[in-house]
Amino acid sequence: MRPAGYAAVTAGRAAFLVHRRSAVVAFALAVALGAAVVASLCVGESFVSPVEVVRVLLGQPSPDELVVGTLRLPRLVVGLLVGAAFGLAGALIQTVARNPLASPDIIGVSHGAGAATVAAFTFGITSYAMLPLVSLGGGVAAALLVYVFAWRNGLRATHFVLIGIGFSAAMSSLTRLFMTKGDFLAAEQAKVWLTGSLNGRGYDQAAPLAAVLLLLFVPLLWAARAQRDMSLDDDTATALGVRLGRVRLGLVALGVVLASVATATAGPIDFVALLAPQIVRRLTRGAQIPLLCSALTGALIVVLADLLARRLFAPIELPVGVLTAVVGAPYLLWLIVRSRSGGRV
Amino acid sequence: MTKKTARRPVRQTGRRLGWLAAGALLLLLAMLLSLMVGSRSIGPAEALDALLHGGTTDDAYVVRSLRVPRTVIGVMVGVALALAGAVLQGVTRNPIAEPGILGISQGASLGVICAIAFAGVHTLTGYVGFAFAGAAVAAAAVYLFAGTGRGGATPVRLALAGAAMNAFLAALVSGIMITNGRALDEFRFWQVGSISGRGPEVAAQTWPFLLAGLLLVAVMARSLDALALGDDAAKGLGHNVPLMRILGALGATVLTGVAVAAAGPIVFAGLAVPHMARAAVGTDHRWLLPMAALLGPALILIPDVVGRVLFPPSEVPVGVMTALLGVPFLVAIVRRRSAVAA
Repeated sequence: MRPAGYAAVTAGRAAFLVHRRSAVVAFALAVALGAAVVASLCVGESFVSPVEVVRVLLGQPSPDELVVGTLRLPRLVVGLLVGAAFGLAGALIQTVARNPLASPDIIGVSHGAGAATVAAFTFGITSYAMLPLVSLGGGVAAALLVYVFAWRNGLRATHFVLIGIGFSAAMSSLTRLFMTKGDFLAAEQAKVWLTGSLNGRGYDQAAPLAAVLLLLFVPLLWAARAQRDMSLDDDTATALGVRLGRVRLGLVALGVVLASVATATAGPIDFVALLAPQIVRRLTRGAQIPLLCSALTGALIVVLADLLARRLFAPIELPVGVLTAVVGAPYLLWLIVRSRSGGRV
Repeated sequence: MTKKTARRPVRQTGRRLGWLAAGALLLLLAMLLSLMVGSRSIGPAEALDALLHGGTTDDAYVVRSLRVPRTVIGVMVGVALALAGAVLQGVTRNPIAEPGILGISQGASLGVICAIAFAGVHTLTGYVGFAFAGAAVAAAAVYLFAGTGRGGATPVRLALAGAAMNAFLAALVSGIMITNGRALDEFRFWQVGSISGRGPEVAAQTWPFLLAGLLLVAVMARSLDALALGDDAAKGLGHNVPLMRILGALGATVLTGVAVAAAGPIVFAGLAVPHMARAAVGTDHRWLLPMAALLGPALILIPDVVGRVLFPPSEVPVGVMTALLGVPFLVAIVRRRSAVAA
């Protein structure tokens, strides 16, 4: 038996159900992302023709190898990974909360990770291997605190969001406190990092994030399956033998880890985790938010925003976080206007 | 029986007067501490002597030229933010309304940076107008977004609209700062939310605006009481509800604009004070507003004094302190009030 809109794919002895519309959307997103990647590598202080870009990407000798391969490609890779991680994190957390507002930017995860990272700068920890761990600690701690304080005979989305907003504000002032405490150099470094910029990011920063994404590949496969259970209502899921509490915790934990590590890599790039799953949900019209589509959309948003951020006021470069916030915040306002009541948006 | 009902208001008035006196005492204590404490500690007798008689000693110089302006500005900012919070909470009937949470302070910041970057305004009197304009636009936008659609402006919607507006405006501010080097340089010191390093001219230039805001709010006190009963009841009592909302929002905007122009954005300062004042003297705004005006400056000056000695030799700006102190309060309000969860 096959649900409507799904196709069965058999590979050897394994069989999957694939949501047809999601597969088409994923393919279209991948094509768009490919185009964005090439465009991002072409455009810059000097224009490189797409033909040369493709040659460099394929590893063939080209006169533009320095500009494309050494200068632009590392930054692009960071953007792709960070965007994908934020997209995944948003999809996972929104699935559990069943509410788009519970994205990591709003519930304090990004700000907690930010405060921890700036503290690390202040106390002289600058190794690229350590920063993601510190950031992870901050993000997880913030998420836990918000969770504990919002818990009262069960978890209410409204409590969660309000307390998350409060914690975000407190974390940003902690961040400022650390910036006033540290020496001038640390403060400068923290300021650049805090605006959510891909400028000067390279393979050094990308490596920990790539490692985390690889490590989480199998858990993410589990998450994709678990998401289907979450789309059932609570009673049905319990009757089918799903351990809702554990599944929820697992999905949220994955989301928090991804958001924290992505924040450590590029600073808080706001609203990507809010936007990507929402766009995907509208494109695929399914009951769930497909993780692959969300990751691709997140990457697409960050790559396009960074392209604009580089060229809009050239030669001055805007941090990519400014652009995503300028687009994302009005979208959040629109969600609020459209909502029937505060709780469920 | 009649005797009892006749005596109760008297006793209540006595209790309220007692609280007001306690608030005034706390404020005086906070002001004295603000004159005494810092990187150079000065005894209470010397501080008062320097304040009253001046003199040529180093202590007198420190007190008169550094700490007195700082204390005066702290008092002005505290009064302005506490009353702005009280009026916003009354007008929106929302326990977590506060200029920082609703994005009004950030709007004022955007106004100031636009003044620096685009209009070439570099004086404080010039900033104030832009701060008002920015605060007014942000307040109107947040209320419009939160109030449109079904359900009206519930606490959650207001807070979310405020958070979104904060993020949007903060992005604009940092975008302008990055593309405009001169603005960055001038704005940087001001953006942190601090009452230190402001000269006496800041107080001299902002007090007329503060007075205007105070008058506006004082006139509103009875109307805010009526509004607390609900829109329909207020209308039944003969109040013009939309006009009251607009006047209240205008008063809060002017007060926020004054505070931001003088000290930069200080978040959460207006959140806790009205709740404390309400716990002390009740919900009658004719008592609530004066109580808030006494408590507000104390709750700016005390965190400021603590921030001076916490990590010597550097100071923690008062904006950071209030934000850290305000969050436990927000958590308590959200957890206690079932109204917020609606």
